[in-house]
Amino acid sequence: MAEQTNQLRVRLVTPERTLFEHEAVAVELPAKNGYFEVLYGHAPLMAELGAGDVIVHGGEAFEAGSTANETRYNVSWGFVEVLPDRVTILASDALKPEEIDVPRAEQQLDRGLKMWKEAGESEDAFTQALHVIAEAEAKIASAAEKR
Amino acid sequence: MANVLDLRRRIRSVKNTRQITKAMKMVSAAKLRRAQERAMAARPYAKMITSVLESLTRRVDIFDEETGNLRHPLFVTRPEKRVLLIIVSGDKGFAGAFNANILKTAFQFISGNTDKEIDIEAVGRKSRDTMRRRYPAAVYSEQTETDQIGNNAHTLKTRERKAQVEVTGDHPGMLLKLENSRVFALAENIISRYVHEEIDAAYIVYNEFKSVISQRLVVEKLLPLMKIGIPQITGAQEPTTEERERVAEAALSAGIEIEPVDTAEADEEARKFGTANVDYIYEQPSEELFAGLIPQYVSSMLYHAMTESVAAEHAARMTAMDSATNNASDMIDALTLHMNRVRQAAITKEIIEIVSGAAAL
Repeated sequence: MAEQTNQLRVRLVTPERTLFEHEAVAVELPAKNGYFEVLYGHAPLMAELGAGDVIVHGGEAFEAGSTANETRYNVSWGFVEVLPDRVTILASDALKPEEIDVPRAEQQLDRGLKMWKEAGESEDAFTQALHVIAEAEAKIASAAEKR
Repeated sequence: MANVLDLRRRIRSVKNTRQITKAMKMVSAAKLRRAQERAMAARPYAKMITSVLESLTRRVDIFDEETGNLRHPLFVTRPEKRVLLIIVSGDKGFAGAFNANILKTAFQFISGNTDKEIDIEAVGRKSRDTMRRRYPAAVYSEQTETDQIGNNAHTLKTRERKAQVEVTGDHPGMLLKLENSRVFALAENIISRYVHEEIDAAYIVYNEFKSVISQRLVVEKLLPLMKIGIPQITGAQEPTTEERERVAEAALSAGIEIEPVDTAEADEEARKFGTANVDYIYEQPSEELFAGLIPQYVSSMLYHAMTESVAAEHAARMTAMDSATNNASDMIDALTLHMNRVRQAAITKEIIEIVSGAAAL
């Protein structure tokens, strides 16, 4: 417990378990309509998350092997609550980049594209297809980033 | 009268059975411990979703000020004519009265609502098997409709109801490996049925499991959403004191903590999520937030019911197997006593024969 000032407490919670809880300097978040970054003292905010990467910057080096003091998680769908000193991420699904199964994500992408073609007039089917595609693309992208 | 050899054989067989039941008990205890941990791990998320939704409903009127429409179709209440019943049972037997009790409660619900049409969604193999045998599966007929322009054909799925109670779906194996994605898919399916007015309410029957000594069978109303964060329990069945003592005894002998783990602090922390006394900037309009949050909320309620049911199933199996082990021990004792008596009788008889033979000389 060196200095507590200007540190955000970041928590990443999934339906199955609490994945991550740590102090950090900044967090990048994939909101539904684009990425944004949160620093200490941010105004209270509530946002829906899309598919993408949560990147936690700074603090201590969390684990062995993490480079450049950042930890990256691929999340898909959820919510985030930002308070001046606390960020809580509720994600439906969260993975570490190295945990991503690329062939499976590619399959998912194909499935999404197929759904998209078959969606036709139905708006629901269309949105669903877009969901699947976005999730798969985000997974592939974040897996590629790591390599 | 059985001879010594026969009795010895029976004792050996009962000993083997006891070994099996003892092993099953230990396995169930280990699985119970894991299921409890998983239920614990799932709590923060469920609590947070609940509290954020609850605070959102408090801050934002659920009616749109301008149009007067409800902000989400799941808040709409309709007279209950068609009801969905989700039955969460176990996948396997050997769990005492666990599955029987759940099915009994489900049948009570069905016979108590004869004026309504009931759809059944069976989770767990035992409930699927029973419900399939009793009630017909729902029949859907596909219709291809062509609109005026003539080229945009789309298939419409229509359903012909033949019986008052029908099984619309089952999910065997869902409990074996509980995955949030599958539960979420089920939740979305239920929500879409509600939105499309195929059902007017959804109930779930499951075994609530707070800890080994505090569990009960409940019928909970899932939809429509009335009060966020307060479970709408319409029927509950507490176990008898005797049953509770049995469970506690079994848990103690298997080394399982019987008191619930104290989570008050973590719960309090989770409850604060999204409820801080500040004005939030809502990134999306509240309709969108509702549309995103509510399926998650429903899914987390389902997930919660399923994790607890799994834990309860293992607890029930552990108790049943503990009783079986005890019964086997009693039986071995009785048989051993009997065997010794028979042996003694045989020896006495032989001595009498020898003595009387000697006397006759």
